[in-house]
Amino acid sequence: MKTDLQIPDPDGFYEAWVAAHEGLSDSESADLDARLVLLLANQVGDMQVLLDCIAAARGARR
Amino acid sequence: MTSTAEVWKFAPAYELPSWPFVVPPELATGERRRHPVVIAGGGLAGLTLACDLALRGIAVVVLDEDDTVGVRGASSRGICYAQKSLEIFDRLGIYERIRAKGITWSVGRTFSGADEIYSFNLKDESLSEQPPFINLQQFYLEWFLVERIGELAPGAIRWKTKVLHVEHGSDGAAIDVETPAGRYSLEAEWFVDATGANSRIRDELGLPAHASRHTDRWCISDVRFKKPFAVERWTWIDAPFNEGRGVWQHLMADAVWRLDYQMDEHADPDSISRPEVAGARLREQLGADVEFEFVWIGPYQYRDHLLDTFRVGRTIFIGDAAHVVCPFGARGGNNGIQDAANLGWKLALVLSGEAGESLVDSYQHERHAAAVENLRITSRTARFLAPRSAAEHRMRRAVVDLARRHEFARRLANTGRMAQPNDYPPSPWAPSGARSLQNVAVDGTSVVRLLAEGTRFIGLWVGASAEEAQALNDDIGARLPIAIRALDPNSALARHLGAGAGSVILVRPDAYVAARIDPATPAAIESTLRRALSLEPTS
Repeated sequence: MKTDLQIPDPDGFYEAWVAAHEGLSDSESADLDARLVLLLANQVGDMQVLLDCIAAARGARR
Repeated sequence: MTSTAEVWKFAPAYELPSWPFVVPPELATGERRRHPVVIAGGGLAGLTLACDLALRGIAVVVLDEDDTVGVRGASSRGICYAQKSLEIFDRLGIYERIRAKGITWSVGRTFSGADEIYSFNLKDESLSEQPPFINLQQFYLEWFLVERIGELAPGAIRWKTKVLHVEHGSDGAAIDVETPAGRYSLEAEWFVDATGANSRIRDELGLPAHASRHTDRWCISDVRFKKPFAVERWTWIDAPFNEGRGVWQHLMADAVWRLDYQMDEHADPDSISRPEVAGARLREQLGADVEFEFVWIGPYQYRDHLLDTFRVGRTIFIGDAAHVVCPFGARGGNNGIQDAANLGWKLALVLSGEAGESLVDSYQHERHAAAVENLRITSRTARFLAPRSAAEHRMRRAVVDLARRHEFARRLANTGRMAQPNDYPPSPWAPSGARSLQNVAVDGTSVVRLLAEGTRFIGLWVGASAEEAQALNDDIGARLPIAIRALDPNSALARHLGAGAGSVILVRPDAYVAARIDPATPAAIESTLRRALSLEPTS
């Protein structure tokens, strides 16, 4: 799992991510993020990286 | 339209055969007999093993409490028989009856609402003489096996014989049984428990089965009707005609459809299986004008369990007595059948002295690993079909939404991964593991027909001449249970195996590849075979 920055335009990505959620209910937003996870997971396509990302996301929970 | 006055029709009950209790020699003469193999339980696994052993010339005894096949009348339990099982039945001599009676299929489709979101055609990957699947009510299969055993070993099945107690010893077992003519005891060099999920033999041994119950609830309706449905496996993740819950639709013999409906997990089983309730569900699916008759209605919840060990001394557990998984993907009955095929040749060669006794431990090694894999695969399906939280519902919804538009997501929709022969992990008998070989045609015969000639391995020597193969066969084949044959490197079988000239492919009696020996020398073949048979290396 890469933890150094890979996204060329971090602020632009964050802006687009936020914009995608505009006008959605909490439930619709959560649905969107679930679809996004699947689409991104398929881009990664590496099982070990995916498992590492799941573990890292879970570990970041507060 | 659904009328409150609708009268629900039921098909006449199946007339299943029954077989007579025959007074056994033990009761007739009072002598105590020691049998090479005694099997308790005449279900799929027990009957398959009995048939396999009878074909190998082993005097086998089957003890069955009942005098017929099937359970609870015509309720059909297992319905889908996978290619590997069909190949085993080809070797046992009942495949043609199964094919003639059953429903051959290879296409499966998965729906969400009104949309198809995933499909497969298992034929695409098949080189076997047998199709990917045939559907058949389980009692027919058991019936064919009983008749075949009757041809091979008349009297081997002892009906109306209930096991009361088993004394498990280090060199065999003593079994006390009860019959209509009284109690008696018999001894077995090897005792096999094939009495199913509720085995008392297993429980009396106190073996932990790691059982768990699932809360997901289903109700089967086996139904006959005249609506031209595709002869395919159709599954709905969320059917509009079942309040957004799952539905399975599959054809069996005698034009009987298996319609299996997922219910609310809190539903009352008596209520959901009442004819008027089950009938109303069918009306939703079939429409108002389709005439139908019930063959059977049955509510169920599934469960699983897995024994840590399938062998205790000379007692061996096969089929549901050893492992039970959720029903998805036909991994129950097929694995009982494959347990039997894994064990049969091993017992036969140990009994004849051609293999070391520890070969039987490879049954535990291989079939326990298979059961673990089947449990994992079926549990994943169960989890997809019955989300346990709002978050899980959301994750499944994401899969289904994307599957409508994107190819990659279709493969995530999980309504069952159809049973495949499990690969066996590396072991002392097969350091590279063992993989199933399909029943591919070769030289005017087939893998299965070659294996049916006797209880021995086959060594396929790729690129050798017939004379070379014969000379090696006369040498090694005279000392060990193997037949060496030349294999054309351009044959479909050699290409399927990916085997290069000069190598020998070692095929076990259960059609698993035990080793690829490359380069093949007589010494390497012999040592690999001795290892696969649990025999000491030659000095």
